[in-house]
Amino acid sequence: MSEILDRLKKAILEYDVEGAGNIAANAIEEGIDPIDAVDVAIKTIRQIGDGYSRGELWIPDLVGGASAMKAAMSVFEDELKKKGKKRQTLGSIVIGTVHGDIHDIGKTMVSTLAEAEGFEVIDLGVSIKAENFVAAVSEHNPVILALSALMTTTAFEQRKVIEMFKEQGMRESIKVAVGGGAVTEEFSQSIGADGYAPTAPMAINLFKELIGIGGQNE
Amino acid sequence: MSKRGLLRNFKPLEILTDEQVESIHSGTLHVLAKTGLRIEHERALKIFEQNGCKVDYSDKRVRIPPALVEECLRKCPSSFIVKARDEDNNVTIGGNTTYFKNSCGMQIIDLDTWEPRTATRKENYDAITVLDKLDNLHILGPYTAFFGFEGISPVMAMPESCAAKFRNSSKVQIEGYSNDSEIFQIQMAKAVDAEILQQILASPPMAWYSDAIEALFRAVEADFPVTVFSGQVSGGTAPATLPGAMITNNAELMGTIVLAQLIKPGTRVLPGDYAFAMNMRTGSPAFGAIGSSLHQVAFNQIWRWYGLPVYNVTSGYLSSKSMDYQAGYEKAIQAIMSAVSGANLIGLHGSVSAEITFHAVQAILDDDIAGMIKRFLEGILVNTETLAVDLIDQVGPIPGHFLGTEHSRKWWKIEQFLPKAADWMTYQEWIAQGKPKALDYGRQRMDEILATHKPKPLTPGQEEEIEKILEDSRNYYKKLGKL
Repeated sequence: MSEILDRLKKAILEYDVEGAGNIAANAIEEGIDPIDAVDVAIKTIRQIGDGYSRGELWIPDLVGGASAMKAAMSVFEDELKKKGKKRQTLGSIVIGTVHGDIHDIGKTMVSTLAEAEGFEVIDLGVSIKAENFVAAVSEHNPVILALSALMTTTAFEQRKVIEMFKEQGMRESIKVAVGGGAVTEEFSQSIGADGYAPTAPMAINLFKELIGIGGQNE
Repeated sequence: MSKRGLLRNFKPLEILTDEQVESIHSGTLHVLAKTGLRIEHERALKIFEQNGCKVDYSDKRVRIPPALVEECLRKCPSSFIVKARDEDNNVTIGGNTTYFKNSCGMQIIDLDTWEPRTATRKENYDAITVLDKLDNLHILGPYTAFFGFEGISPVMAMPESCAAKFRNSSKVQIEGYSNDSEIFQIQMAKAVDAEILQQILASPPMAWYSDAIEALFRAVEADFPVTVFSGQVSGGTAPATLPGAMITNNAELMGTIVLAQLIKPGTRVLPGDYAFAMNMRTGSPAFGAIGSSLHQVAFNQIWRWYGLPVYNVTSGYLSSKSMDYQAGYEKAIQAIMSAVSGANLIGLHGSVSAEITFHAVQAILDDDIAGMIKRFLEGILVNTETLAVDLIDQVGPIPGHFLGTEHSRKWWKIEQFLPKAADWMTYQEWIAQGKPKALDYGRQRMDEILATHKPKPLTPGQEEEIEKILEDSRNYYKKLGKL
């Protein structure tokens, strides 16, 4: 591995967001192939994920590592776009907290872990209206739509989103995963979702199951 | 008449120095004035603005000046009555009185497999009957006993739960809010001539969502008391350090306490401590952790200093998934720490594994914890009769003894607390009886209560009104397409 990619790896392992972004920019300036750089970033975050699986690392480590990785990835993604290349991912996920709900943290944990696992994540943010989920899915053509709702008041909004996909004739072309504090397995079935996960790490396994690659970490 | 609850006859436990309290207080005021709170409610923003707060409508941010916070805190009553439908069950919250309240569960827990499943309608009503009977349970929580039950739509869970509580219990109830359910809950309370203690929950960090604020307006305008709390998770939605978490927690609470006093000065407000550390393995709150007790004890000290009564919501929550050793210590440690540090209301009874499940048997076992705490809070009565110097002199050394004295006959029952669902047998008896455990006693007691206890019924007129309000709520949700 080149010296600069070694430094990138170190920055991600130290959860150094600014450093990872800067090193990524330097790597591109030095002419490193962004595909190779992405490979290093993902392998590094997997290393952190493995530490978590072994019980040696914790959620703050996952989120720290994922934040550093994301800072580097956005540089590499821009470069790939410029060169007209596409990196290998497990597929893309459109994710957001439903309309009327401004809770961000659970959804962000899922986003960062999914990125780390190798998905491309399009995070729409919080309080997203049903029609905006439809528009984002039309634009990005993801494999999974993930909806978050923390409150009992807004869990019903998840049903509204699913209903709108049905109305638009788009329900069959997408897997819908739901989660959040107010959601249960039973509720997810009652609103016609494809899957439910109670925690962020379990959501990642669910995503992998939904696209047919098994529920275990590599 | 008013239920006396538990009386604490000694000084509450305090773990912060005066300087520490003041630095948390000044941090809170600083955050309210500088960082501000996000309040997603147009009418509330206008009220804040009219009262001298800096309001930024673009990001719904309210910055509250310290003088207004302190003025509004002074307007809050330091103790107040909440009216039950049976006046014997009214509660007076404040001072050195402590009451217990149950937590609830989304589902019922199976006592053999320890797996959750949806409760039946009968199980829901039976659980409330048990809670109505328990001596040391004074207030029913929202969603009690279950977050809905078989045969009802999720959107009807809260109105149905409110109706069930009024039907099978004459104790005070706290209510939540979901999809405007508070409209119907307030109507039901008025129909049975009771009040509701309306619960309002923040969206940490530092935000209040429109539904919560709307429920606050509705409760205050109905002249009902409110209890406000955060639900913060340290390390996630609050700083990982306890003092930092206490600052955002208190700032969040003060936002709605100020608002309630601006809507109607003198509104009865009960600040509640509902705060957890994050379980850094799962991302969920770390239920039953000792840090929650540190948070609650400090919370009680700070809010007593503000002159307000205090509610500890967190004490009833467990990480344990069954009624086992872990469940026992998680409940007992949290509840006793809350009680000795002066909580006026403590959440304790019934839930297992946070709010995932509930069982009436757990509530029965918890009622013994509450009973033990009640005895502890009474403290030690020291007078001539209890010092018993003359008696000691009379009985003298062996072969004298105290068992046959009138003093023992009178005093042992006052001094000792006898649990209703615990094993107190000798080993031999225990083996001969088939080795019964607390859980067996709890099951037996539940059967006995259900066979004998008849909650005070609603009048036929009240029942008719409750049913009509439920029908109105169904029609309301049908119109909105939610039912």
